[in-house]
Amino acid sequence: MFVHRLSQRFLSVGVTFCMLWLGLSACVQKAPPELLQAVEMLDRQLVEAQGAEFAPEEYARFVEQWVAVKGRMLTEEDVIHWPWEANPLAAELRKVQEQGERAASAAAQRKETERRSAEARLAALEERLRLFTSSVDGMGSRVVLGQRPIETELLVKQARSHMEQGLYSRSTQTAQQASHLMDGQVELLNTQLGHYADEQRVRAWRRMVRRTVDWSRTHRAVAIVVSKADRLLTLYRNGRPVVSYPVELGYNGILEKRYQGDGATPEGYYRVIRKRDRGQTKFYRALLLDYPNSEDRRRFRKARTAGVIPVSALVGGEIEIHGGDDRALSQTLGCIMLDNRRIDTLFEATEEGTPVTIVGALNVTNSVAMALAELTQTERG
Amino acid sequence: MKRLLVFVLAPLLMLAAGCAKAPTEKLAAAEKAVSEAQAAGAPTYMAEDFAKLEGMLNNAKKEIADQDAKFAFTRDYEKAEQLLTTTQTDAGRVTADTGKKKEEAKAAAVQAQQAAQEAVKTAQDLVAKAPVGKDRAALEAIKADAQGLATSLSEVQAAIDSGDYLGAQAKAKAIQEKSQAVTSEIQTAMAKVSGAKAKKGKGGK
Repeated sequence: MFVHRLSQRFLSVGVTFCMLWLGLSACVQKAPPELLQAVEMLDRQLVEAQGAEFAPEEYARFVEQWVAVKGRMLTEEDVIHWPWEANPLAAELRKVQEQGERAASAAAQRKETERRSAEARLAALEERLRLFTSSVDGMGSRVVLGQRPIETELLVKQARSHMEQGLYSRSTQTAQQASHLMDGQVELLNTQLGHYADEQRVRAWRRMVRRTVDWSRTHRAVAIVVSKADRLLTLYRNGRPVVSYPVELGYNGILEKRYQGDGATPEGYYRVIRKRDRGQTKFYRALLLDYPNSEDRRRFRKARTAGVIPVSALVGGEIEIHGGDDRALSQTLGCIMLDNRRIDTLFEATEEGTPVTIVGALNVTNSVAMALAELTQTERG
Repeated sequence: MKRLLVFVLAPLLMLAAGCAKAPTEKLAAAEKAVSEAQAAGAPTYMAEDFAKLEGMLNNAKKEIADQDAKFAFTRDYEKAEQLLTTTQTDAGRVTADTGKKKEEAKAAAVQAQQAAQEAVKTAQDLVAKAPVGKDRAALEAIKADAQGLATSLSEVQAAIDSGDYLGAQAKAKAIQEKSQAVTSEIQTAMAKVSGAKAKKGKGGK
């Protein structure tokens, strides 16, 4: 009896103890704080890595899972679980963490790939712009392009700024715009200066030179030939070249002169009509040419009728071969300029009536044609 | 008969009372808040936060759809409601933060625009003073550059007007840099001219 009572008491104490233990151990399961912190840190990393832009799919999955777990954490904060039950929040957070790591890795990788690709394109474009500018300056055709070069340069600079802003795709887009603008300029230069690469045209120029040299030989006299592409003046005596001097042309000299103020240097057969000595010209000494001749006037009228030059334009004049104080400081409005020592020689050698033949180039491999070919090649490249 | 009524109607009434309603109003409010965040420019200025808002909204919609699919008596929209409330709250925060970020970007763009305007003006003033008839090719090129820079300033304003503040900043920065380069080029040319004049004076010509 006593034993029975004792066993009953032990049983009831045991049951009570068990109930108490179970009651105490059954608790609210919260997300492990270290795991939660890790996911939150991943979340911040993904914002910095622009996850939505560079790994949109992975990031969307991460967001979906993360939001779902957050929602669960809100709704299940009071749910009691038994100790033998696995913590579902921890398992789900681990999944979110894995997805976040995948997204962060993908975003970082793609961002770096895009950065490198954009940087390479931009560097190539900057190099192309450098070559382009150098070729255009070398040809003396900067003015032909008007405001286009500055527009291109600004776009290239903008593309660089976008790189610094971390906007790689935008940088590439802007770089493409700049590249198209440069292509357009190459086309324009080909339209304006393409005749320098035209064999027929060059042959015609060579014929003009030959005729002048023949005249010099026949008349046992002096003649002058100027090649614009080479920026070279050659003095012939009795059909033989005596001396060649480098010259400066008009600020738009490489073009064919069409009207007054276009800065172009005319092409054609001319003669010295007046020798202007010291005091008679502001350019030390000068040889005034008979521009415009009848051919120039005919071309001018035709161009004005066709509407390719302004209606108010004048044909111009006062084209000279003259000296200058300082080569670096002086440039002409269409004249041919050389330094004072050389104009002295020329001045003494020539007389009124001396023929002066101005041509674009003497061969098809002239500097303008070569620069155009190079520009066209970089365009295709 | 009364007992029969109690046994039949009571469970029906209980069933009717126990049917939870989908949180359509909260859903509409959350959707509106997310749209407002989008309209404020969150996808551009707070892309990641906006993606989260969309994620939360989708999650809430999915939860509603899951509950809708259940037997009427067992439906529980509490979780969806909580998600929608959080979405709406967060959307409000994102809209406000986007506004702040936009204002910051706008202020930076306007500041860059002013700096660019000043740099262009300095360049233009110097172009006007550049020695006429000297180094014509360079002068004509510089004139074209200065004109091009002045024209480009309107693009900065257009970008600001359209809310493209980052684009405006990039444009303004480019214009400022180039204007400074043009200014420096003219100053060098002018120094060359005055140097040459001084030299000429010394030579007694």
